[in-house]
Amino acid sequence: MTQEPRLSDDDRAELIAYLDGELDEAAARAMEARLGRDAAARAEADALRRAWDLLDFLPHAEPSPSFTHRTLERVTARHAAAATGMSRRRRWGAAAGWAAGLAAAAAAGFAAVTLLVPREPTDDDLVRDLRVLENKRLYEQVDSVEFLKALDQPDLFGDDNPEAGG
Amino acid sequence: MEADLATRDVTVAAIGDTSAQLSLRDPDVRLMIAVRDDVPGAFEELVEAYQHRLVGVMRHLIGNASEAEDLAQETFLRVYRARKKYRARCKFSTWLFTIANNLALNWLRGRQRKPTVSLPAHDSGPLGPRPAEQLVVARDGSPSGGLRREELADAVRRAVDGLNERQRMAVVLNKFEDMNYAEIAEVMGLTTKAVKSLLNRARTNLREALQGYAG
Repeated sequence: MTQEPRLSDDDRAELIAYLDGELDEAAARAMEARLGRDAAARAEADALRRAWDLLDFLPHAEPSPSFTHRTLERVTARHAAAATGMSRRRRWGAAAGWAAGLAAAAAAGFAAVTLLVPREPTDDDLVRDLRVLENKRLYEQVDSVEFLKALDQPDLFGDDNPEAGG
Repeated sequence: MEADLATRDVTVAAIGDTSAQLSLRDPDVRLMIAVRDDVPGAFEELVEAYQHRLVGVMRHLIGNASEAEDLAQETFLRVYRARKKYRARCKFSTWLFTIANNLALNWLRGRQRKPTVSLPAHDSGPLGPRPAEQLVVARDGSPSGGLRREELADAVRRAVDGLNERQRMAVVLNKFEDMNYAEIAEVMGLTTKAVKSLLNRARTNLREALQGYAG
């Protein structure tokens, strides 16, 4: 029996996979052959197996007798809380919808009043339009600004002016 | 377009077949489908069927009986909450332990951030040792036998606590749930190769930590 070098990390991973029954048939046979000829590998396998078996000493935990009952109670409580939360969210959603609708209506009303209802002129408006106001009576006699401009042509009455002859 | 539809139909049929095959093979998949469909009593039956395994795994993972029960309950609550989205793509137990794995890892990471007092390994909760544990001590017949068992349990607990969270999870699923590497990989979201490496390190650490006891 020959003493092979200490197991490498990969060899140990392969050995553990063998112990766990995870190797395919060919790899398992190769590992068995190695274990047959390598005392160090055998010792390693034994130590790994014994340490693994010691995990059986961990206390086995059993759920308390009321576990199912308490779990179902918690499910019911959460279900009810979720349903309440959802109906509250729905109520808040409806209220928010109404509030948004009212705000939009108020804004539309304000805009309509501002744009459509005539307002009293301010002092600034009167100063700006003073000349127009002073000639208001004259402007009311003509139909359009174009007509007034035409009257202002210097040659409009030139040829027919009786005083212009000579 | 027709080819796309045909491909999709084949895929849908394949998924349907897998789901149907799984529910034929795994009775717990059928039970979970009943939970999903709000069949009266189905959820209670599911809790009854899995509470022992789930509490056991949680206890081994976190080492505290009452916290283990809380986490097991929380796992069932998550199952109930996610029931409408349940699709039978794997064994039911794999799905359940995936949820449990996430909860336990979060809990363990949270515990690392705050100091706690760990209970001794032989703590059996507020009611003291359970009849089965007392039987084991009595079977030995000597106080030293009981002491030896407690001492061993403490040593093993310390060795398991010395593993990192993922190593501990892989060990518990392998040892106590008899899961193979592929199932552990699915629960933990890892490759099979990564699980092999994880268990290699975990078992090497356990062997070293328990060297004096494994004679």
